[in-house]
Amino acid sequence: MTRQRLPAPDTNGRSLDAQLHLLDRQIVDADGVPVTTVDDLELDSPVPGTPIEQGTPAPRIQALLTGPALVTRIFGGKPPASRLIRIPWSDVAGLGTIISLGVRANSLDASWVERWIRDHLIGKIPGGRHDPQ
Amino acid sequence: MKRLLGVALGILTAIGGFVDIGDLVANAVVGSRFGLSLVWVVAVGVLGICLFANMSGRVAAVSNRATFEVIRERLGARAGLANLGASFFINLMTVIAEIGGICLALQLASSVSYLLWVPVATAAVWLVIWRVRFSIMENVAGLLGLSLIVFAVALFLLQPDWGSLAGQALAPHVPESETPATYWFYAVALFGAAMTPYEVFFFSSGAVEEGWTAKDLVLSRINVFVGFPLGGFLSVAIAGTAAVVLLPAGIEVSSLSEVVLPVVAGGGKIALAFALVGIVAATFGAALETTLSSGYTLAQFFGWSWGKFRRPAQAARFHLAMIICLLAGPSLLATGVDPILLTEYSVVFSAIALPLTYLPILIVANDQQYMGKHVNPRAVNILATIYLVIILAASLSAIPLMIMTGAGS
Repeated sequence: MTRQRLPAPDTNGRSLDAQLHLLDRQIVDADGVPVTTVDDLELDSPVPGTPIEQGTPAPRIQALLTGPALVTRIFGGKPPASRLIRIPWSDVAGLGTIISLGVRANSLDASWVERWIRDHLIGKIPGGRHDPQ
Repeated sequence: MKRLLGVALGILTAIGGFVDIGDLVANAVVGSRFGLSLVWVVAVGVLGICLFANMSGRVAAVSNRATFEVIRERLGARAGLANLGASFFINLMTVIAEIGGICLALQLASSVSYLLWVPVATAAVWLVIWRVRFSIMENVAGLLGLSLIVFAVALFLLQPDWGSLAGQALAPHVPESETPATYWFYAVALFGAAMTPYEVFFFSSGAVEEGWTAKDLVLSRINVFVGFPLGGFLSVAIAGTAAVVLLPAGIEVSSLSEVVLPVVAGGGKIALAFALVGIVAATFGAALETTLSSGYTLAQFFGWSWGKFRRPAQAARFHLAMIICLLAGPSLLATGVDPILLTEYSVVFSAIALPLTYLPILIVANDQQYMGKHVNPRAVNILATIYLVIILAASLSAIPLMIMTGAGS
């Protein structure tokens, strides 16, 4: 039986270390407004423990995760999929020292807490919607 | 001409903004017990804060990243969260101590109990954070804080024996009435007061608030390397007045009235008025800085939108976090906890948390992806590494010394 070697990774373009260049980086929206940080990544990898077939393509990043993903990344465990707040990888427009999105923060689920606090608390205090003087 | 004015203004605010309640109390206590024999610690601490404040300002100006974003990126989520917990706790303690300082100074001026001033001072701090532009806030507090120069003036008016003062400062030794452990405990406390982490959080976030770019680096370097040492000189003057008046008389510093006592002895009522204005301005400025730092650290760790350059509604969680801090912290003062004691503890805890803050700054200041050609020069790295060793030593010895000496009593 000849042992088939794994294909060499495609080295075209930039190679990134997920731990170093993606996790815990700041995410900003199309206008440069901070949205959140990358609390975890969602990959399309198979369920851990199942054998991997020969020739399976390398896993791809599906989404940046935020919200409860931070708690489970630090303390372990896995929240139900419905609890994860996802920013689909297709929304990512640029990778530098920060990750920039091609969409506005207001259109994202990831910013609902910010919107709620703005609309129900901070925006209601007098002066909350004016520039500081 | 305008540029020159900008430089002068920056230096003046750096001087006036350097001293806070921690410096005031720690220096007065140390002066009254050890004379000037711990001045070298202030010098070491001031050089350290210059080094790292300048570095964090450079990181912020070049890469647009404030210190706590950098801390999370480099330490990861787990260690970053532990760091956030420690920094936030110390920061909140400092907020309470600064607001207590404002109220104690107002009590001295008005004879109205400081507890009645707490809601007034807290509301004033919040209003400034809510409505006043960053640059105005910085400049007004800094310039009024310059009144603290009256401590240096008072020192001259007291006509001390300069020779013996210089002797204490240049050939330091442990006074006979004190043990080596208390000497080193207060050395750590003074070091913590000079290098408090909130100063770098605030300095780097301020650089982002004011939109610094690589072009502003020269200006920032002048502010730091001229302004901070002159601020440190004010700290030494405070210790000096205490050494001349309180040490021989055996008066122990347990409240603000002892801190200003030497000023009255040297310059009378007018000097006292200046000292009180200076203390209120310095503690008010520091209350603003620490409250903002609480918001900055939280927002930068979790990636929220932050900054006073935005409308409050556009940085909603940032402002809500600060409102909660201002509601929670000062209500602790209402329990009657002694603000001076709280200050003494907060500077020691600051010393413990120092390495967590300064190591990530040093790492990122060497990262070309962030810094391009503005990475640290070799000499700065060598000096910063030496400082990390000192910082680590101070941090590790703080708790054992605190236990051994019963917190310096």
